[in-house]
Amino acid sequence: MIQPQTHLNVADNSRARELMCIREAVPNTPLERSEVITAVIISTRKELKRDNGMIIRYDDNAAVVIDQEGNPKGTQIFGAIARELRQLNFTKIVSLAPEVL
Amino acid sequence: MISDIVNVIFYLGNCVLLVNLRRMRLEKCWFCSSTVYPGHGIQFVRNDAKIFRFCRSKCHKNFKMKRNPRKVKWTKAYRRLHGKDMTHDSTFEFERKRNRPERYDRNLAENTLKAIKKIDKIRSDRASDHIKNRLKTGKVQRQKEARKQLEQGIHLVKAPHALAQDSSLCLPKIKVNVSQAQTEENQPMEE
Repeated sequence: MIQPQTHLNVADNSRARELMCIREAVPNTPLERSEVITAVIISTRKELKRDNGMIIRYDDNAAVVIDQEGNPKGTQIFGAIARELRQLNFTKIVSLAPEVL
Repeated sequence: MISDIVNVIFYLGNCVLLVNLRRMRLEKCWFCSSTVYPGHGIQFVRNDAKIFRFCRSKCHKNFKMKRNPRKVKWTKAYRRLHGKDMTHDSTFEFERKRNRPERYDRNLAENTLKAIKKIDKIRSDRASDHIKNRLKTGKVQRQKEARKQLEQGIHLVKAPHALAQDSSLCLPKIKVNVSQAQTEENQPMEE
C-alpha cells in the first residue's frame, strides 16, 4: 500500500535513488516545485489481484521517474514490472523493462 | 498440451465484443509441489525476477520463514529426496512443461484428454506400489536372505573360473590372522 511518506526504490537509471511519496498524482495537473517529480509505481510489496484470479506480490516497492507525458526519464529499467502498466498506457516503460510479469 | 483459446466473440445485442482469454496453465507450488489451479494461491516475484508460486498461505508462510522445503517433512521435495515417494518413472515424461502452443485439433485434444486419464491412473498405481513395497515388513530379513543367496548361488550366474578372474563379482575375502599354537615349544622356565 503506497501512501504518503512511503519510500520507494527507483528502478531506472535516472539519478534518483529513493523517492518518498507525497501524494497520488492526479493525471494532467502541473507540479509546482522542481524537487518534486512524478514517478510511476511498477511493483509493490502488497499483493495486487488480477481478473484471472492471479495474486502477485513483488519483493520491494519500486517506481520509475517519469515526465509529464508519462515517458520515463531514464534509459534503462531494472527488475520486473507489473503487466498493469501496459493497460495504463505506459508503453515506453513496458518496452524498456527486462521482464513484465 | 492444453491449447490456446485466443479469441472468444461475444455478441451483445448489436455490438460484437472481442475478448482475449489468457491461456490457463496448472503450475506447481514451489514449496510443496502440489498443483496450483487458476484463482488459487499467491505468486511472489523476487527482485531477480524469479517467480515463486504457492498453492496456499501455508506454503507462502513457510517460504517467508525461509524454510527449506527439502527439510520439511510433508512436502514432495522431502519425500522424493528421502525415497518415500517414487522419483524415476516414465510417466513423469508426459508432464514436462512445453512452451509451444499447439494448434487446436479436435482429435488431438480428445486423445490427449483420454491419455491424461490413463497416464494418471498408471502413475498413481505405480506410486502406491512403491509405498506399499517400502512399508512391507521384513525388509532387513529379505536383504539378509538375498545376500546369502548371492553368496551360495553365484555359480549359477557365473562360472567359477570366470569368478576367480573377475574379482568384482566375489564378495571380498576377509583375512583373519590366526596365531600359531606354540605351547609345546615354550619351555617352562628351568627351575
